[in-house]
Amino acid sequence: MKKGYPRFFLLPGLILLIAIIIFPLLFTIRVTFSSWNVSQSGLNFIGGENWSEMVRDTRYWGSLLRLFYLSFLTVAIQYALGFAIALFAWKGIAARRFFRVLWLIPMMTTPSLMAIIWRSIFTEDIGALNGLLSRVGLNPVNWLTESGPANIAITIVEVWQWTPFMFLILLAGLLSLPKEPFMAAAIDGASAWKTFARVTFPMMAPISIGAIMIRLIDASKIFDSVFTMTRGGPGNATETPAAYIFQRSLQDFQIAYGSTLALMYLILAILTLTIIGKVFARLSKPRGI
Amino acid sequence: MSLILKNVSVTTEKDGVILDDISFEFKPGRIYILIGRTTSGKTSLMRAIAGLLPIDSGEITMNGVDFDEKPIWERDVAVVYQQFINYPNKTVLQNVEFPLLRKGLKKTEAREVALASINKVGLSDYLDRKPSQLSGGQQQRVALARSLSRKSHIMLLDEPLMNLDYKLREQLRVEFKEIFNSQKDAVTIYATTEPPEALILGAEILVMHEGRIVQFGSPTEVYEQPQSTTVARVISDPPMSILPVSLAAGEIRFSDGYSQPIPAKMKNFKEGRYEVGIRANDIVSAKSGGEKGVISLVEVSGSETLVYVDTPAGEVVLQMEGIHDVKVGESISIELPGNRLFLFETNGALCVSPDSAGE
Amino acid sequence: MYKVLKATFITIWSLFVLFPIMWAITTSFKPESAVVNGATFIPFLEFQPSLIGWKAILPGPDSLTNLLTPTLNSLIVTAGATAISLIFGSLAAYGLSRFTYGWKNYSNADIIFFFVSQRIMPPVVLAIPFFLLLKELRLLDTHLGLILVLTSGLMPIVVWLMVDFFNALPREIDEMAMLEGCNPIQAFFRTILPLSKPGLTVAGMFCVIFGWNDIFFALTLTATKVLTLPVAVIALNGTVTPYWILAASTVFSIIPLVGLAFVIERFLSRGNLGGAVR
Repeated sequence: MKKGYPRFFLLPGLILLIAIIIFPLLFTIRVTFSSWNVSQSGLNFIGGENWSEMVRDTRYWGSLLRLFYLSFLTVAIQYALGFAIALFAWKGIAARRFFRVLWLIPMMTTPSLMAIIWRSIFTEDIGALNGLLSRVGLNPVNWLTESGPANIAITIVEVWQWTPFMFLILLAGLLSLPKEPFMAAAIDGASAWKTFARVTFPMMAPISIGAIMIRLIDASKIFDSVFTMTRGGPGNATETPAAYIFQRSLQDFQIAYGSTLALMYLILAILTLTIIGKVFARLSKPRGI
Repeated sequence: MSLILKNVSVTTEKDGVILDDISFEFKPGRIYILIGRTTSGKTSLMRAIAGLLPIDSGEITMNGVDFDEKPIWERDVAVVYQQFINYPNKTVLQNVEFPLLRKGLKKTEAREVALASINKVGLSDYLDRKPSQLSGGQQQRVALARSLSRKSHIMLLDEPLMNLDYKLREQLRVEFKEIFNSQKDAVTIYATTEPPEALILGAEILVMHEGRIVQFGSPTEVYEQPQSTTVARVISDPPMSILPVSLAAGEIRFSDGYSQPIPAKMKNFKEGRYEVGIRANDIVSAKSGGEKGVISLVEVSGSETLVYVDTPAGEVVLQMEGIHDVKVGESISIELPGNRLFLFETNGALCVSPDSAGE
Repeated sequence: MYKVLKATFITIWSLFVLFPIMWAITTSFKPESAVVNGATFIPFLEFQPSLIGWKAILPGPDSLTNLLTPTLNSLIVTAGATAISLIFGSLAAYGLSRFTYGWKNYSNADIIFFFVSQRIMPPVVLAIPFFLLLKELRLLDTHLGLILVLTSGLMPIVVWLMVDFFNALPREIDEMAMLEGCNPIQAFFRTILPLSKPGLTVAGMFCVIFGWNDIFFALTLTATKVLTLPVAVIALNGTVTPYWILAASTVFSIIPLVGLAFVIERFLSRGNLGGAVR
């Protein structure tokens, strides 16, 4: 139709993005076949050594598995809680605007800094949580020095930080729903639960899927809370792949190996998320939405 | 100064053939009415002229210049849509000034022309309102003022009155006629689905069906001599009744056995199968005799009653003056006066029309 | 019964939301003794408030570190990355909304997916390459370097939000502008852009939130000259974790963005967010 006009719009952004991402990505791929650490000047070639070492790296696979559980668990909780408070903030309670602002706040805070605060809450001897527990007569918990509680602590932090994000998207969705089906349901005398199950929830399906996908994508990168609150500890109990790779690459300076881990991480993330995306796409079709 | 289309065709994957080998010359100073069903291609034809729809083959020239070389913004085409398109964030005055400034007019000049145009559509009191603060009719007038003030050489109006209420439609229709008649050097093309509108407004009517122009001519021509049953169906409101018959032994025989003598005009035609058509207001209800049928639907509209009758020979629609108390399910006898019948070949082509200069 | 449950749930959740923040605020006013000797909660009753934490981070005689400069850096970097992402991202989104691009077998949907999928990229994958890239370009520890890197993560968000937003704006408007003499670029700037404020605001807010809060790239790609706020605060971790100082820093850092919560809420209530988030 009009010569170069469409290109004017798309190309600047596309090229900028490609330039910033593709070259580093290609470099990363090349590095995985070398044994480079920052002090060398050139890149040697060692074939698949890094890759085979990765396969034997139980700490790595452990972190991946942990991330899998952690991300699914936190996103599920965030979705359930987020939907519940979104429903309340939609029309269910008084002083809605106050609560909407309040419940948005955690999302606006800096995750890594809040993780420091959470550390001061969870820390054993002088932390707030144990302080509260002992005042009520309960035993203090070793939040950060025991593997189980540490993972619970991370989950709590993630839920606190990101439920508002779900809340925001779901509430925006709820507010944009057409009124007619609800009026029809009211006329038909549907109960609150029935209205939710048969009207609200199905209509929110596309938005729910979008919200879950986005949160899953972000949850697949969990780093800030782990890095600042537990450093992956105790031991490796809360270590996510991002934290582990960070340590290997930027603290142990094993850049080539770290890049290998990173690349594998990326590939797995893309595969998993694409599969999940397709599953969701198929799920939403039969409902006729 | 003409807009000439030659063999213009457009096909898409989704909808198949949208425009089928359209050739026509639109001359300036006239109003051309495009009439046809909703999917007949009227809007597509306009969009192709405007440049919003790329054409697959053929050419469109204006004043000898091939439009293929001219992108949309250089074609000098003004469009008024059914859906009142105005710029939501500009005031009425800014809306009308916008195209004029684009054209290169100086600010003061643009303002003058804009004000004159707004005046013409009666919205001078609303200069600072935004479109969302206006009623439907007012918004449409803003769109109209904007398009008119441009003095484009091609004016396209796509069912512009469709979304307005009845009274407003009538009023604006009259105004349109005046406005268009004063645009001496512009090609004006107006699309509608309503035969009455076409007949009121048009200098020349183009009947479209399935992407083709199936007939064009003056309103009287098209109305009195529809070239095919397709055209007859499109141009008739209330609908024309069309029934299969056979001509034999001096009689018209309907498919249920009912027959009546052949009218004079049809005497010279071969025996065989044909279709007859008759307008709704030419059918008469009779006390007895004639064709018999059962009423299936009654529509009271305005000051007339439309009665749909199921006869064994086919469905027939008749129009009765005034409001009658007829009920669905009643039996009714109807007469089809021979001198009001149209005769069509089985392929739909016109043989005889009741209004043509008689034999 | 249901009402009681509802009220309880809301109360518990609201307390949960408030707890860390209140704890941070109170801790920021604690003297060292109120922290290292066990948890204290209520000011005046359990400890005497002190400004030592706050004084440590603001310029003055008791200052240990000045958080104002990092704040400025964060501002510059966030504003820059947001601006570039909004500009390039919206342009691309508009193109994807209105035109059909087809190179070989890639459709518009594929291109959009490409943009959005950049979000999947864990920062850790690109950290070293970015480091080397910026080193080559001499952009390490500069505002521009960090801005460019952040843009790669923010542009996908803008494209994702704005494509849906532009799709919801009737095409007839820019068509009309073109019919009236605007080429597509003029049509975009004069008619669509003025209508895009809600979408751009939402996209901009997300950019600001994610840009301001980034630590990964700031950590790896800056050293001393362009310290951003979160990194500066994390650096305060000494051998004895001075929670009173950290708390003050955290409260200081989150104030600007918390203000955004009010803005977002206003958008929600006015219904401007609905179409943009889908």
